[in-house]
Amino acid sequence: MTTAELRQQRGTLPNPDVGTYEAVNRDVLKVLSRPGKGWWILFGMAATGVAVFLACWFWQIYKGIGVSGLNAPVGWGVYITTFVFWVGIAHSGTLISAILFLFRAPWRQAIYRASEAMTVFAVMTAGLFPLIHVGRVWHAYWLIPYPNSRFLWPNFRSPLVWDVFAITTYFTVSAVFFYLGTIPDLAAARDQARGLRKKFYQIISLGWRGTDREWHHFSKAYIYLAALATPLVLSVHSVVSWDFAMAIVPGWHTTIFAPYFVAGAIFSGVGLVITLAVPMRKFFGLEDYLTVKHFEAMAKLCLLTSSIVLYAYLTEYFLAWYSGEPPERGSFWNRVFGHYWWANWIMLTCNGFVPLMLWFKRVRRSIAALFVISIFINIGMWFERYVIIVTSLSHEYEPWAWGLYRPSVIEMGILLGSFAWFGFWFLLFTRLLPPVAIAEMKEVVPPPMRGSEEAAT
Amino acid sequence: MSDGLKRRDFFKVLGAGGAGATVAGCSTGEIERLIPYVTPPEEITPGVATWYASTCGECSSGCGVRVRTREGRAVMIEGNPDHPVSKGGLCSRGVSALQGLYNPDRLATPLRAGPNGFEPIGWDEASALLAERLSAGGRPLFLTGTRGPTEQMLLGELAGSLNGQHVIHDALDDAALREAVNIAFGVSALPRYDIAAARFLVSFGADFLETWISPVTFAADFASMHGVDHGEKGRFVFVGPRLSLTGQNADEWIPAQAGSEAAIALALAGELVRRGGDAGPYTDMVARYSLEDAAEAAGVEAEALGALADHFAAGDALALGPGLAGQHTGATAANLAVLILNVAAGSLGRTMHVDAAPDAGASAYGAMGDAIADMEAGEYGVAVVSGTNPAYSLPSGSGFGEAYAGVPFKVAFATALDETSSLADLVLPDAHPLESWGDSMPAPGTYAVRQPAMRPLPMFDSRPMADVLLDTARRMGNDLGAGTFHEYLRGAFDLWLTRNGEAAGVVGDPNALWRTALRTGSVSYADATPSIDALQSPTTAVSFDAPDIGGDGELTLLVYPSPRFGDGTHANRPWLQELPDPVSKIMWHAWVEMNPATVERMGLREGDIVTVATAAGSVEVPVWAYPGIREDAVAIAMGGGHTDYGQYANGNGVNPMGLLNGASDAHSGAVALVSTRATVTATGAWRRLTTNEGSEVQDDRNVTPAVALAALGHAGEEADHEAEDGHGQLRELQEGGGFRTVDTEGRAEDFPLPGSDFGTYGEDHPRWAMAMDLDKCTGCGACITACQAENNIPWVGEMQATMGREMHWMRLERYYETVDASHSGPVDIRFLPMLCQHCNNAPCEPVCPVFAAYHTPDGLNAQAYNRCVGTRYCANNCPYKVRVFNWYRYTREIPEPMNWQFNPDVTVRDNGVMEKCTFCVQRIREAGNRAAVEGREVRDGEVYTACQSVCPSDVISFGNIKDHDSQVAALAEDERTYRVLDALINTQPAVHYLKKVTFHDVEGGGH
Repeated sequence: MTTAELRQQRGTLPNPDVGTYEAVNRDVLKVLSRPGKGWWILFGMAATGVAVFLACWFWQIYKGIGVSGLNAPVGWGVYITTFVFWVGIAHSGTLISAILFLFRAPWRQAIYRASEAMTVFAVMTAGLFPLIHVGRVWHAYWLIPYPNSRFLWPNFRSPLVWDVFAITTYFTVSAVFFYLGTIPDLAAARDQARGLRKKFYQIISLGWRGTDREWHHFSKAYIYLAALATPLVLSVHSVVSWDFAMAIVPGWHTTIFAPYFVAGAIFSGVGLVITLAVPMRKFFGLEDYLTVKHFEAMAKLCLLTSSIVLYAYLTEYFLAWYSGEPPERGSFWNRVFGHYWWANWIMLTCNGFVPLMLWFKRVRRSIAALFVISIFINIGMWFERYVIIVTSLSHEYEPWAWGLYRPSVIEMGILLGSFAWFGFWFLLFTRLLPPVAIAEMKEVVPPPMRGSEEAAT
Repeated sequence: MSDGLKRRDFFKVLGAGGAGATVAGCSTGEIERLIPYVTPPEEITPGVATWYASTCGECSSGCGVRVRTREGRAVMIEGNPDHPVSKGGLCSRGVSALQGLYNPDRLATPLRAGPNGFEPIGWDEASALLAERLSAGGRPLFLTGTRGPTEQMLLGELAGSLNGQHVIHDALDDAALREAVNIAFGVSALPRYDIAAARFLVSFGADFLETWISPVTFAADFASMHGVDHGEKGRFVFVGPRLSLTGQNADEWIPAQAGSEAAIALALAGELVRRGGDAGPYTDMVARYSLEDAAEAAGVEAEALGALADHFAAGDALALGPGLAGQHTGATAANLAVLILNVAAGSLGRTMHVDAAPDAGASAYGAMGDAIADMEAGEYGVAVVSGTNPAYSLPSGSGFGEAYAGVPFKVAFATALDETSSLADLVLPDAHPLESWGDSMPAPGTYAVRQPAMRPLPMFDSRPMADVLLDTARRMGNDLGAGTFHEYLRGAFDLWLTRNGEAAGVVGDPNALWRTALRTGSVSYADATPSIDALQSPTTAVSFDAPDIGGDGELTLLVYPSPRFGDGTHANRPWLQELPDPVSKIMWHAWVEMNPATVERMGLREGDIVTVATAAGSVEVPVWAYPGIREDAVAIAMGGGHTDYGQYANGNGVNPMGLLNGASDAHSGAVALVSTRATVTATGAWRRLTTNEGSEVQDDRNVTPAVALAALGHAGEEADHEAEDGHGQLRELQEGGGFRTVDTEGRAEDFPLPGSDFGTYGEDHPRWAMAMDLDKCTGCGACITACQAENNIPWVGEMQATMGREMHWMRLERYYETVDASHSGPVDIRFLPMLCQHCNNAPCEPVCPVFAAYHTPDGLNAQAYNRCVGTRYCANNCPYKVRVFNWYRYTREIPEPMNWQFNPDVTVRDNGVMEKCTFCVQRIREAGNRAAVEGREVRDGEVYTACQSVCPSDVISFGNIKDHDSQVAALAEDERTYRVLDALINTQPAVHYLKKVTFHDVEGGGH
């Protein structure tokens, strides 16, 4: 069988230049070799950003949450915006790895490792924000149900408690899923590494030998975990959306929120995958693995979710008008034409209008164009949450209590620092774990058979 | 008897200050070891409050107060319901006396001016110096603010014995009115107005609900006159260029030009005379005035004045003078014209009374002018100043500063340094009114005592001025017959009893009578002063021509007394600085009021910082657009822009007195506050106003609906109408989803709602609820300050307040419905005191992840501060936005000794927790405990909230709504009752509002 035939049969997408298992091993594992100057510069920037992030946070804990720009009536602002943003980002990872795995979508193999890593780090980032946001972080553990002598439990009616469960569950499952998938690759890395690195990989690869029996168990475990993770993709962001939808705030209290947030989450997550994959592909020379076809597939997913999100926006406007309730109408009127009109128009433009360009195949197949659009999506999706949270709170039922909110320097420091925190882990990931799934790539590369070299040419 | 003697001794010691050590817990010495009370001091039980009836010393009104003390410290001031004049009300300034008492800027020791500024000296040295200079320094001038009658007697006695002069200067005294009464009736006194007896009230600019004469009394009277009762209510018309808070409460506004009051009043009097009225010796004169000319002069419609004349002709009318807000160079004439109008309308002796004896008010302004001239001429060797701040409150053109500087030896008695006392050579720390003895005669027939509520604070080595003066006199060999002012006061009381007791119907044991006075705060007696019933023939030629308002520019500058700071005396109090101004809702900084049309015409925006300039000076101040001011006027409040008054006052706001040219009223010599035009030019700078106003209109929310007077009694029809559009009835959320229509409208028997599991109220628990009559609320804001005092609510400062982080548990929303300065017509401004609604179905409760927000069995939305993590979800989900968050450690930043004021019954909240109105749960529990000990139920009216305890207008009722006989249950059934947003979101609040009643038709009478 020729490579081309094989590919046709399995519907795989790698570049025809990748012909052998050795090439896969070599190309992917070379990423883990001594980092270059560029990596160190980026890592230095990320580490500095993390320092800023921590400094801002500790200052806030020391002084009080007042160092933010929050006030009455806008009690939630950049922190919760950024929390939802990162939870949203976290969604595409599981979608790409678990759901597409279950649906046997072949184009996932090249990108799923990076997106799973992204998921784990995004949840790690998102999970910090509720802590950053609360007034007394030293008591935040009260949200966790634990046995205590006072028989005090959290309030299971509160969406924030649901949130605690959703986020911790999601983090646990996605971290286990991510780690499980890397074990065979860690073994491959172990086999090539020396010295301390070898020790490190020896430990974390759990003695993987690649035996038939191990592969058998591995595949079973992987598919079960994928099945476990799949509903979480839908549930976690639904729960996050209920933080808003369960409240009576006009602009929050809508039934559309769960599907709307899930679509938005996938949209933003895929957007960030594109944003990260483009430079990664370039710097690590993975063009053969992350091909234009992969990007086109992601672009289509973006287009679909963007349409759902835009539809949701329009539905909200319509229903606000249709409800006839002054607070509801006022809230949306204020969104579009009030003090925060610019944020709303950034949201509409970036999430609704710019992705319409993806209808054109030329745009979908242009890496540069996709990169630019993905940046727009990232910005737009952050602003979507900002618009939902800030404009709704600033313009509620009581006219006298309307107010304005302006983020403070500390909040901006923590927002930018969260990207640094995320980047810090992601950069470490690119150096410590194979960023493309070696084992799964090998599934789509022609197996080494006698005479296969000849057949391939 | 022995009990009484002990009690008297106790007070004596309190008053003498520092002499004894009866109150062991307040020892000023260093405490080395904590020793519990072995023999507890009488009247002090740890953990139980002691109340003292006293008299408020914050302005000359002399309202009755009750001071709540805990373990020897005053922690709260409330109105005294037993007081015949103030009737249980109090204003924000009165409550804020606590912050005058515990002010960190108070003087700790006597100070002597040296080459390098003030040097602290001891009292021995200071007293010796004072005695030496008073006996050898030349004629003394005693310049004080309004003091109690006995203290004024002491000062007069002392001044007389030293061949000196006692001049009373009170920047808020209505000298022009006093002079007008003098011209009209031949007596130097203020008239007594009986607003409650009027059915039609006109104010020609007087801010009688804010600062004028006795605002708390007037507010109470206004509430009974203007509040709807059995389908009737009195009508109030405001005439003047700017709607003050008083004007905002009017039913109709005639936006007359400044200075046209005399013309309008005389024309109305003329019209009444033509209809058969009698204006005594002025009848012929007023008959020459026509409504058309007056309307022309005032820039208003003659028909509007004609309608006024009709109302006057109907009887039971009362016209109030221009007051300080309209004080121009013709102020006496304008006041005289209003007095003539009252006589022509037959109000004299019905709604306005003039006693034939001079009252104990301030000296005429002319005396102050003479004193300045005499000081300039070098007449005085010593000046003793106390309780007045002319260096600040007189216009720069008055010449006070230069004249005062020329006095060889200047002594100031002051609790804290101000602009005047900091010019002194010797400053003596005066005791605060809450620490000293005094008295007051707020009205004929009432003698009120001020007793100290606590010993002087240990960190301030202060002594009451009267005690020091008595001591000084003794040092100078002039024994005035009393060792302390307390003895002097008792002596005067006993003397009065001996001389007049029988005639006044006050007989009995002087000690017993005195004790009664201390317990109730006042003694009522039969006043034999005859009333005057006719105008006297004019002895002074008064010109009623419009005053000359000079100066460049096209905008008349209106300088008016601040409802919060008065003349500026109360500016150094953070509660008042952070109290949103009742009119502008601005905190901390100054503003200039301009009509929105003027703002637009000049190309300005709200918040633009402009230069307001007159020939005398200029200030830079941000613009606040206010539809309640004429287009040709701008207004700036007095009281800001202190330079030397204390950490909270200095630099906040501007002092508009610097814009005045020193012109004064022709007859009384009173400062003309409306005397010049001003130019307004943009500086190009802009600032965000520090305001809590999110929107000045209701934007279809209808949170304060009103009902027209004519529509009252037709509520049934309205309810039917409401039911049609589905908003009238409550829909209760069912456990299994969906709604069920419940017929409640807040009736007492509906609590708890059948099948409701929102809030687990047991059958045997009360359900606390509140009712607020918005037809009576004047928007004064006393409730806010009382709440702040009671509940340890911190202030946050200008920057934080600008961000929207003020911590008030209560706010006064003010919505414009109808305000139009371009022509006469109805004015409709709605006030809505907003506090936690203690919803049955509270949105804040289910969202709290840790049960910090929960429902108590008696229906309160409690907030467990210690459990709060600070997610702020509850605040987001509160549709009323009444939850406030501790963004910083605000309470820990409160300086010593201001934190001594903290109420020990209320938790002091720290950083990072949410807080809100508790319905004064500490008072509920206290009453509950008391009732339990006495083995009975809590009686209706036994629990009253802090806001309720000061409200002069009797707006607030509180009680158990499940008790069908309670007042609140009755009010909840009133046809005007509604609950804010309840019909929309089914929160089922416990606060029931009674709609405002208007004379004009209103839309949305339902909600």
